[in-house]
Amino acid sequence: MLVLSRRAGQKIVIGNEIVIEVISVSGEGVRLGISAPNETSVHRYEVFTDIQEANRDAEVVSDEIEQSTLENLSAHVRTKQK
Amino acid sequence: MSMITIKEKEYTYNESEIINFAEGLIGLPEMRRAVLIPMDEYSPFCWLTSVDDEKSRFVVVNPREIFAGYEPFASNDSAASEMQALAIVKISSDWQKTTVNLRAPIFINPETKRGAQFVLTESSYSLAEALPQN
Repeated sequence: MLVLSRRAGQKIVIGNEIVIEVISVSGEGVRLGISAPNETSVHRYEVFTDIQEANRDAEVVSDEIEQSTLENLSAHVRTKQK
Repeated sequence: MSMITIKEKEYTYNESEIINFAEGLIGLPEMRRAVLIPMDEYSPFCWLTSVDDEKSRFVVVNPREIFAGYEPFASNDSAASEMQALAIVKISSDWQKTTVNLRAPIFINPETKRGAQFVLTESSYSLAEALPQN
């Protein structure tokens, strides 16, 4: 891992388009400003890992879902719609 | 026309139906090209199936079919309202424990077929919302 020292107001650039600026430092907290292309998503790491885990848990990797489960779910939801 | 097999049933799709996720789903960068297949007999649920890896797929649903008041964006964002919203469903073998991810919905532009998964960081929606009870 590359480790750089920066002060408030200083920046780093990743690739050609991603710029991260240290806005301010107070105590243990750091405020960062991030400029990135629209199509590049930026997340707090813990948010990213939570959603990654939720996605992996929901991924259906084989024919593990029983027809009866889908039948029950579909019936339940359709009842609610009425 | 191409074909995909799910639970021993065959489905055909056109290239024009392929949804492109430039970044994949969050934390799943390999999920880049997928098709949406309605489960006719188990509506309103659909399969979102990778066309590159048939074994990788999700059960998804239009969240408003289950949560009528679902509003992913606070303002009346007209660009967002034209997008097709899908929520990933985590199926549990005990179907009553199935949950829906309302916090990180997928949006698809129906015209360009480009899609992305978003995180509603300002909302109180859950990653695992329980089904409404009767």
